[in-house]
Amino acid sequence: MSNATVVVVTSGKGGVGKTTTTAAIASALAKEGYQVCAIDFDVGLRNLDLIMGAERRVVFDLVNVVRGEASIKQALVRDKKLNNLYLLPASQTRDKDALTEEGVASVISELRMYFDYVICDSPAGIERGATLAMRHADEAIIVSNPEVSSVRDCDRIIGLLDAKTKIAEDGGRMPKHLMITRYDTERAKTGDMLATDDVVDILSVPLIGVVPESKDVLKASNVGLPITLSDENSPAAKAYMEATRRLLGENIPVTIPEEKKSLLGKFFKGRAA
Amino acid sequence: MKFKGKSFIAIVLSPEPPFSDWLGEIDRIIARSPGFFIDRPIILDVRGSKIAIEDLEQLLEELGTRSVRVMGIDGVSGTRLKPGMPPSFSGGRLASDIDVPTPSTNSPGAETAETQAKAPKAARAEEKTDTKAPTAARKKSHTSAESDDKQAAPASIVSGSSIVITEPVRSGQSILHPDGDVTVIGSVSSGAEIIAGGSIHVYGALRGRALAGVAGKDCARIFCSKLDAELVSINGLYKVADDFDGTLRNAPAQIRFENETLVFEELN
Repeated sequence: MSNATVVVVTSGKGGVGKTTTTAAIASALAKEGYQVCAIDFDVGLRNLDLIMGAERRVVFDLVNVVRGEASIKQALVRDKKLNNLYLLPASQTRDKDALTEEGVASVISELRMYFDYVICDSPAGIERGATLAMRHADEAIIVSNPEVSSVRDCDRIIGLLDAKTKIAEDGGRMPKHLMITRYDTERAKTGDMLATDDVVDILSVPLIGVVPESKDVLKASNVGLPITLSDENSPAAKAYMEATRRLLGENIPVTIPEEKKSLLGKFFKGRAA
Repeated sequence: MKFKGKSFIAIVLSPEPPFSDWLGEIDRIIARSPGFFIDRPIILDVRGSKIAIEDLEQLLEELGTRSVRVMGIDGVSGTRLKPGMPPSFSGGRLASDIDVPTPSTNSPGAETAETQAKAPKAARAEEKTDTKAPTAARKKSHTSAESDDKQAAPASIVSGSSIVITEPVRSGQSILHPDGDVTVIGSVSSGAEIIAGGSIHVYGALRGRALAGVAGKDCARIFCSKLDAELVSINGLYKVADDFDGTLRNAPAQIRFENETLVFEELN
């Protein structure tokens, strides 16, 4: 039996792209051939099933499993396209108090036996739901937008990752990766957004990927497909694929999205080189 | 004319009936540590106790005979107070508990410290009352006295009276070390705070708050490789980012206390 790596996708602020990132990374890992399970910890506000296009096949959810009302096998939803990708959805009718610490611990330890990767989609904030999602993680992906409020909240979450997780309590350090999402080159240049260097400097966490702001992401979530499956050639999908390879340990340089150069610019650049 | 901000912590005493027993408790503290109440700002908190003004008068007299000087009363409106009584106070924020110099004391009332209204979080710093306790244990108890979602200080190395923190101090974290210097190898994020009895050294960007010399040391200094702080304070005298000299922004800097002002200097 394999022993999975549990990755938590977290951020302080809402709306930064945690769920999109979870779906994209999980499906990219599955495409690489790993057995992957994505868990939606955002009890009360489930979204991951929507983005993964599984909302009409949800029968049992995380709360049912935590409470012992269903087995994990009953609750897992298999992806339509990839048969090694599963989803453990959240319940929309309950709230985060329905999750117990022991229940979550046993669910995670059971999933560890079946999968290579377990990706936990954390709810926003620093409340119980977020701490439960990160508690048993082996690694963390911190999702931040290039704006000050998002960066500040991520900093807070990193502090929690170093204080309130199982690894931290056992005296270890959780490996952390920074994912910058909704990056807009134009606005970074004019100073409306923080540059990636500034975000990395403030958070001092290694960068795993920079995902450009893209309409493709919205389009993909509307059709219920993770961006890495729906439009493999979009810049956002490429950024997620790269990030996934880095998560797997490959050492490749991070591509910072740039403006498309004009033909003339390309021409001159070519001459100079 | 200039107004200066200076912060103290006040001991808040909440008298509980029967007052004779409560005064006996105060006597016990004084017997154990005669200097405990001397020269300290002391506030009487009678909020919610519906104490009669005559009883309050008598209580103040009793405290007076024990040389406990009350500087203000919280929880009674100024109009009810008799002439000669300390003024009415309000708007204080609760800070962490003050150690009474014997570990066994849990006397109600004598252990809440409250900030004065004008004081920023500087006032949260603890007074130095028990220098014999092991530094590490003290530090732990101080950090845990923080807010509800407190976090332990990151890995730190205790040596003598100073601590070294080898990780960035994150937003929401508070490092409290009332006994000596704090050295941070890394950055102090905006929203984080370092409170030290001695000096503060930050080998990285100082983006949060740094409160040095909280135990009454004017000679404490703050050093950082990149000054972008929200607030700096030495011995209670503080300055917020808006009042800084803009030329030192993001530069290596030191801040020291001189003639009742904070002096900012570039380090090179």
